[in-house]
Amino acid sequence: MDKINRRQFICCSAALLATPLSAQAFWPFSGKDAVASGATDIRGEIFKGDAPKTLWKWSHEGYHYGKLERKRVMCGICPNHCLLSPGDRSVCRSRVNLDGKLYSLAYGDPCSVNVDPVEKKPLYHFKPRAKVFSIAATGCNFRCLNCQNWEISQVRPEDVRHYDLFPPQVVAETQRTGSEAIAYTYSEAITFFEYMIDTARLARKQGIDNLLISNGYINRKPLLDLCEVLDGANINLKSFDDAIYRKLNGGRLEPVLNTFKTLHTQGVHFEMTNLLVPGYVDDEDMAKRMCQWILENLGPNYPLHFLRFFPKYKLNRLAPTPISTLARFRELAINEGIRYVYLGNLPMHEGNNTYCHNCKKLLIERQGYFIPVFNMIGNRCKFCKTVIPGVWRDEKKL
Amino acid sequence: MRKNEGAVLAVVVATGISSVVTQLLTIREFLAQFQGNEFVIALILFNWLILGGLGALLSRVITKHSLFFFGHATMNRLAWLSLLLAALTPIQILAIRFFKDIFFIHGVSVGFYPTLAYSFGLITPYALLLGFLLPYSLFVLRNEMPDYPGVRLYITDNLGDVAGGMLFSFALVFLLSPLKAIFVSNLPLLFAAWRLFPVQKRLRPGVICGLGLTLILLAAGIYWERVSLTPMTGQLAYYNESRYGRITVHYDEEQFTLFVDGKPLFSNQNLIRAEESVHYPLAQLPSNTCLRRILLISAQGGMLTQLRKYHPEQVDYVELDPEIARIQFRYGLLKEIPGLNIIHQDGRAYLSQQAYDRSNRKRRYNAIIINLPEPQTFQMNRFFTDRFFQLAKRHLEPGGIVSFTMAGFDNYLAEAQRQKISSLYNTVSAYFKHILLLPGQDIVFLCRNQPLDADIPKLLKQKRIATEYIRHYYYGNLTTRRIDYLNGLIDPDTPVNRDQAPYLMRLMFSQWFAKFAASPVSFIAVLAVLLIFYLARISGEEFVLFTTGAMTMGSEILVIFAFQIFFGFIYFWIGIIVTLFLAGLLPGAWLGDRLKRQGQIVLVLTDILLILFLGIFIIAVQLGGGRLPSAAFLGFGFIMALCCGCQFPAALCLRGDDNPAASRVFSADLLGAALGALCVSVALLPYLGLVWTAVVLMGLKSVSLIAIGSKSWIK
Repeated sequence: MDKINRRQFICCSAALLATPLSAQAFWPFSGKDAVASGATDIRGEIFKGDAPKTLWKWSHEGYHYGKLERKRVMCGICPNHCLLSPGDRSVCRSRVNLDGKLYSLAYGDPCSVNVDPVEKKPLYHFKPRAKVFSIAATGCNFRCLNCQNWEISQVRPEDVRHYDLFPPQVVAETQRTGSEAIAYTYSEAITFFEYMIDTARLARKQGIDNLLISNGYINRKPLLDLCEVLDGANINLKSFDDAIYRKLNGGRLEPVLNTFKTLHTQGVHFEMTNLLVPGYVDDEDMAKRMCQWILENLGPNYPLHFLRFFPKYKLNRLAPTPISTLARFRELAINEGIRYVYLGNLPMHEGNNTYCHNCKKLLIERQGYFIPVFNMIGNRCKFCKTVIPGVWRDEKKL
Repeated sequence: MRKNEGAVLAVVVATGISSVVTQLLTIREFLAQFQGNEFVIALILFNWLILGGLGALLSRVITKHSLFFFGHATMNRLAWLSLLLAALTPIQILAIRFFKDIFFIHGVSVGFYPTLAYSFGLITPYALLLGFLLPYSLFVLRNEMPDYPGVRLYITDNLGDVAGGMLFSFALVFLLSPLKAIFVSNLPLLFAAWRLFPVQKRLRPGVICGLGLTLILLAAGIYWERVSLTPMTGQLAYYNESRYGRITVHYDEEQFTLFVDGKPLFSNQNLIRAEESVHYPLAQLPSNTCLRRILLISAQGGMLTQLRKYHPEQVDYVELDPEIARIQFRYGLLKEIPGLNIIHQDGRAYLSQQAYDRSNRKRRYNAIIINLPEPQTFQMNRFFTDRFFQLAKRHLEPGGIVSFTMAGFDNYLAEAQRQKISSLYNTVSAYFKHILLLPGQDIVFLCRNQPLDADIPKLLKQKRIATEYIRHYYYGNLTTRRIDYLNGLIDPDTPVNRDQAPYLMRLMFSQWFAKFAASPVSFIAVLAVLLIFYLARISGEEFVLFTTGAMTMGSEILVIFAFQIFFGFIYFWIGIIVTLFLAGLLPGAWLGDRLKRQGQIVLVLTDILLILFLGIFIIAVQLGGGRLPSAAFLGFGFIMALCCGCQFPAALCLRGDDNPAASRVFSADLLGAALGALCVSVALLPYLGLVWTAVVLMGLKSVSLIAIGSKSWIK
């Protein structure tokens, strides 16, 4: 037998290596599984040497971080646990290590300030019709491919036009605009934790409510601190599958579930949103598992919002969620035992209304941000007097 | 030997036909799978030409060192390689579809570098082999006829290219889906390749198997065609390739979504967009105004139903692609209303040429609603320029309104988008006294010469027009604070968007890069290094051809760009321009072959002519504009190609017309064209505008003229 020469060896090896790759070409015929396609983990990474040389007016030392040897620090706010050497910037882009100290660069510099109806958050069981002073600084610990606020969530605090609103001014503005609550929202509030909690403490003293609108990707200790001043929250449960979390959002599921448990045990009213992304999250079995987990760990009383997906940001080559899919998921969740299930991003659908879980009568009819029908007295159903979970105008309890 | 020559030349023609069809289909496939912007088009073309140039260079290296199986050029091997080329075509198209969801997450759009890498990787086998085959065919012929002129092969190749271009643009694109077109366009190549085998081998099992396998692959492509387009969710309700792009309708539950080039445009369940795009402008018109005419430039699901609430006498709906209009009606995205008049034409061309009534007076509208996506291409940019708004204003009734949209934002207007909005605001403000921007899913521009009111629900209430979304959500979503925030961010210093200096395109590119957190700097740097390295190694004649390739390709893009400004996007004319740019090479090469003994002079003269003609063309466009006959654009294209074709034989003759020279000259032309395509599309036109792009091209040619002129003078 002739000896194989070097050229033949290289050619054969290349062909051998190419075989599995070419076999992959026919993979789409074997199964239609969007989840299995493409990159499997888009979690963010820290930005080496990206910190500014000096601090700016809107810097504040972090509240939860650990100092390590060689002036390294570990951020303790979220499960990313960013390990930063001097000069590094965190995954969320808001926090930097300068000379062995962790600083937030998003303190008093919100880039987006609006007054919104509370229903827009969405919070349907929190003081209906309330005006909410909403603020956001830049940054996010996720990398959601369909982020609707990517212009502020995926940039550094130094890269945007921003307002100059330190906590006392936020409270003053809230009062000036006649808002009943402050919402920490739009980007990811957890990344401007120090700014949020300082503002919330001041607001609480002034009788203003604090609302957290978040992905829930936060560690237990800072969350417990936050719970002391929180009046309500909307946490986005992006899916009930860790693989999808890693793939579409760049995060993990477990810490988010822990956040729900903590909020529940701390007695904070919260509502859950679940965006039904076609091909990824619109899986009925997954929805069932999600509902079962909610019932087992949190009970049936926390409102769940299924949101309609629209093509956004990078995930813009999918169709919107069909309306009947949303209606089916609502039905499914109600049948599983969740008492208050709503549909979002869907104007004029009965899934926007609140029905008493006991007598099934219409309690709140929502036509967009208008409430033409309101059949509650305090926190009770006008018809059967059943206590409706949530935070209502004259009582603050579940 | 004549018989063999005929067989080889037949393969070259067939390869030309197959390759041009494959190239056009590959570009369309990438547009359907990736972002359909000018950058992506230029990138694919760039990769294709670069790889073709490398393939041509490689042919010399491989045959010189007798590397691999095809080291020594023979008819037999050329036949096998041609079969391989044909077999690669369906594989390439299907691979672009299949691998996208393997390398990228399903449903995402992809940024600059991944697009560059993906397209480069997937077209490498085909484009390299294609570039390799032309000089290889020459080597085959020269094995038996050492003096065989390279230019003859060049002419033959161009003949195939012209035939392929015409076949696709004027027949296949109308009649067949991509993989059927691939099948048909490769049949001549299969036959020609089979004829290359010696007579005694043609019926041998190996040859029959190879031929059969290739045929099976080509036929299998047709089978996989529809399967490969099946969406991950729902069903494929409709699929068709119109001359403008891929149209699919996905059906999921009760929702129909129209996808154009892979991007969801409209669905039958998006009430918000339909209400915003119709009621924001029409609410502004006084209640007592009788809506005589409304012009819709493109329309989306639900719009006509909303329009009907105003009882307009006539609605002119202009849609460039007849297929899009037809499908929207077929799947209930649009519903017929009384007074509807559907016009299949370029919206701008319609306004400038045909929007006249029977007494030849300008047809005037109470409202012109432009419902087009953001300008990702030069073609689309024409609807957002100063001249277009001037044209639209001329067709408005007194007190009429023009509206259009840009992508919206939720809570923060990013800088690139702010610049974009500002540029448009400044552009439109030259023609309208009042402009109001309303934020939302889209930013809606309302432009009018009478005051505008942002309280849309109040205006609709006065008109007694019922809405679902606006009535119930407007006050919560469009607070005064949000409206003031948007309108207050307009930068009055941002340049306006002009036809000949498309500033908006530059901003679109910036926004695209910002979205993917990328910068083209590294790419430019690598390209510059490679270019310097290449230029340092080529001869004067190759440099002339390199610059001519760049100039001809650049001029082609320039001519199409200018033509669209004045005449609109007219598919047939654009097809003819492209064909003429190929066809002019043929007589050019023939003429050049006749004059090749005066090679140096020919190069100098044609360089001068190229500069001169481009200069004359630009001056004519500047002075004549729309008054220039379309024949001027065609004539210019033909003459430029003729000069380019003329240079090839001259350069080849000067380089000795041996095998290495042929490879290098072929590749210089292709590499120059690659650079021209990229630079003109994505850098020169958006950043410098029409005139200065021409100046740069003329400057580039002047350098080549100096280089070759001084060489000639020294001699």
